Amino acid sequence: MATEEMEQLVRREYTQGFVTDIESDTVPPGLDESVIAFISKKKEEPEWMLKWRLEAYHQWLKMKEPSWAHLNYPPIDYQGISYYSAPKKPEDRPQSLDEVDPKLLETYEKLGIPLHERAALAGVAVDAVFDSVSVTTTFKEKLGEAGVIFCSISEAIREYPELIKKYMGTVVPQGDNFFAALNSAVFTDGSFVFVPEGVTCPMELSTYFRINAANTGQFERTLIICEKQAQVSYLEGCTAPQRDENQLHAAIVELVALEDAYIKYSTVQNWYPGDEDGKGGIYNFVTKRADCRGDRSKVSWTQVETGSAITWKYPSCLLRGKDSVGEFYSVAVTNGRQQADTGTKMIHIGEGTKSTIVSKGISAGNSDQSYRGLVKIGPRAKRARNFTQCDSLLIGDRSGAHTFPYQEIGNSSATVEHEATTSKIGEDQLFYCRQRGISEEDAVNMIVNGFCKDVFQELPMEFAVEAEALLNVTLEGAVG
Amino acid sequence: MLEVKDLHVTVEGNEILKGLSLTVNAGEVHAIMGPNGSGKSTLSAVIAGKEDYEVTSGSITFEGRDVLEMEIEERAQAGLLLAFQYPVEIPGVKNIYLLKAALNAQRKARGESEIPAPEFMKLVKEKLAFMKMNASFLQRAVNEGFSGGEKKRNEILQMLLLEPKLAMLDEIDSGSTSMP
Repeated sequence: MATEEMEQLVRREYTQGFVTDIESDTVPPGLDESVIAFISKKKEEPEWMLKWRLEAYHQWLKMKEPSWAHLNYPPIDYQGISYYSAPKKPEDRPQSLDEVDPKLLETYEKLGIPLHERAALAGVAVDAVFDSVSVTTTFKEKLGEAGVIFCSISEAIREYPELIKKYMGTVVPQGDNFFAALNSAVFTDGSFVFVPEGVTCPMELSTYFRINAANTGQFERTLIICEKQAQVSYLEGCTAPQRDENQLHAAIVELVALEDAYIKYSTVQNWYPGDEDGKGGIYNFVTKRADCRGDRSKVSWTQVETGSAITWKYPSCLLRGKDSVGEFYSVAVTNGRQQADTGTKMIHIGEGTKSTIVSKGISAGNSDQSYRGLVKIGPRAKRARNFTQCDSLLIGDRSGAHTFPYQEIGNSSATVEHEATTSKIGEDQLFYCRQRGISEEDAVNMIVNGFCKDVFQELPMEFAVEAEALLNVTLEGAVG
Repeated sequence: MLEVKDLHVTVEGNEILKGLSLTVNAGEVHAIMGPNGSGKSTLSAVIAGKEDYEVTSGSITFEGRDVLEMEIEERAQAGLLLAFQYPVEIPGVKNIYLLKAALNAQRKARGESEIPAPEFMKLVKEKLAFMKMNASFLQRAVNEGFSGGEKKRNEILQMLLLEPKLAMLDEIDSGSTSMP
């Protein structure tokens, strides 16, 4: 459809007016233009943003949900979902830890999460527990001095429209894929980071410090920009189990690295995986992509995935700048009835580009896990190099592991290496450890953590410690 | 100390041990000899608690406790340790980590607190020196890429550190020399 026609259509629909009551805090289930306009209005967005959303919506209408992943789930009724609900007000949240599910608290304890953080994570009205406002203020001041912008994406759309117009959708276009188009139409929250030229962000940025982070929506959108020679380390998620009434999650993360910039993006994801039969778990369909636009730029993705009933996620790097570098380190653990189809794409476009992929998959219980990776080396990517290692560890005899590595090599000067192993925690290994007095559970944890070591050492220190504990909790009762 | 009485053991339907009895008192050294397939490794594996071995009759007691009723790790914690004929490799797990985890598991079972790190290092270095082993050994993954001889020394190192009441050494010299 020509742009002009599109604009006409958008305008015409707009003049018909919107029926949804702007005062209400949730919209009824269903998706149409009025719902999108409602969201845009709630977020106090300028009109160009609404237009952008509607463009995405019209592309989405023409798209089909992808079916190529090695996943099995009942069809999603996109008209049965409510696309906006306001964050809970403090008075609606639990007022103290006494009102929180004891099982959840038990898990926090096992993970070694400090007491005051437990309250915040469990959704207790935070101000009653510790003064988050003052923490955030000091934090913002320090970033402000360095010239770093760190705010919610909605705030950025209002306050920094030029940056948003310049970068949003340039890494993951509106119509990139079904879930990306949906997100572009209805995203409600997320983070925005801008690090100006030559600045190394003075601290690790974590969504945890952002007010309202506990109520991040189901359609998050994050945009991180590092100008020339800028650096930032960004932490997403937390190890604590996160519950959400919304089953479908479709997030977008866009990273832009200009010349000599370095972005390190670490994720620990622990969405609710559902009950023993897999009921009620989160479906997580995420599009994460980095654009290494500048020469010698570098992006490093590190992820620890333990949650979700369904995971569909391929953090990728477009290596456009000369000698740019992309890295992907991943540990994915599935247990119970979880299914994960995850991996990465490394697209080598520029000369001398390098990528490293280290993927560790652990499947226990009745779970099923696939690594899906693409290494594409373009004709102009002379001397490009890739190293891929993907290892699977099976626990028990009812779990599955699959590997789908794709390689498209477009020139003969490239070097591409691929190593893969599949192993099972052996009875012999367990017997050996237990014969030294170590309990079966501790032995499994020890073997699994040994298996994941290459990835854990890429995580920021405090995240690494939590990740180890998280793995142990996730695999509790996996053997026996 | 160890009392094995009229022990019958089958593996996959084949009877390997046919009424073996053995008494080991504190301070004694016993050498069990026999041709291949006579059940030497089976005996040590059954005492250590390896699965797939079915005890059809007989009993094993250690310091008066019924060994066959104990979990594998409980037997080890009680002081019954087996040095393996073929020690397994555990990739990514450092030797020193396994040693510390094992020692602490045993201390915990005895109601003691975990060993402080400096004390542990001192202890390990002592034992290493005794075995004439290099400290770099501790940083390598358990048995990964070890030569046959190194694996056996590693088993002995663990015994020295864990100080079992009864150590069973299964063909401890195989790999370094060949014995009939």
